[in-house]
Amino acid sequence: MLQPIVASVSTERVLVFLRARGEGYAREMARFFGTSLRPIQRQLERLEAAGVLWSRLVGRTRLYAFNPRYPFLRELEALLDRALAFYPEADRRALLMNRRRPRRAGKPL
Amino acid sequence: MKPISEISAGELAAYVAGHLKQSGIEVVLSGGACVTIWSEGLYVSADLDLIGDGTTPRSSLRKALAEIGFVEQGRQFVHPDARFFVDCPSGPVALGREAPKEIRTIEFATGSLRLLSPTDCVKDRLLAWYHWHDRQSLEQAALVAERNPVDLDELGEWSKREGQADAFEEIKGRLSPPPSRGAGAN
Repeated sequence: MLQPIVASVSTERVLVFLRARGEGYAREMARFFGTSLRPIQRQLERLEAAGVLWSRLVGRTRLYAFNPRYPFLRELEALLDRALAFYPEADRRALLMNRRRPRRAGKPL
Repeated sequence: MKPISEISAGELAAYVAGHLKQSGIEVVLSGGACVTIWSEGLYVSADLDLIGDGTTPRSSLRKALAEIGFVEQGRQFVHPDARFFVDCPSGPVALGREAPKEIRTIEFATGSLRLLSPTDCVKDRLLAWYHWHDRQSLEQAALVAERNPVDLDELGEWSKREGQADAFEEIKGRLSPPPSRGAGAN
């Protein structure tokens, strides 16, 4: 949907995923979109270098999120919200409806 | 010019900025190195954040900096003799959603350096405190405000525009100038 503007399907996937979920890591995004890891990693690195994203290490996982200091963040978020509104219902639900609340260690599913 | 291994952060930033200007790339010093300068060396950053207007291709920066011995390593540019490395984040220079209010110019023996004013430098540090609760950044903001007149009204208004009015109220006491240096803010 944003590919004409962002020029890369992986960039759109990264941006939309992070807008929907707030944060995420490369393998999680690649798994969600059923794509290979490297293009996602490349876009995450590129967007971080450009100041759009920031990241931190949690254990051995690099977790990405939008950089709150990115000057055009509000405008970008508004654009992504509009794009998400046009996503197929099933895709939008899958992006938005994932469990973020904590699950006690050892608790059966 | 002194050997590059002996020059200060400000001198090196001015030297690099001057060279970039000759290549048509205008930059502003931001980040921790501004704190180094405005705190008169009480805080030392090894990282010189020189930010352009956001239109310069990375390849142009790489070429210009190579002419004075800086080699790209990851996201930084490193000189074998320098104590500081150069970082050129994507521009434009922004303090949250806003452009800097004022760019100052300081003259060094190595050239002119454009950098954030003390008030804008404090904003830059406060952003890291507001968004990531980075206490070091708050301490740096306090160091700058302790040694330079800063515009507290502007900082308060800006914080409000950034949605951080309450956070500013909590820390503004840290930014009040010493009683003898209250005049001529900004």
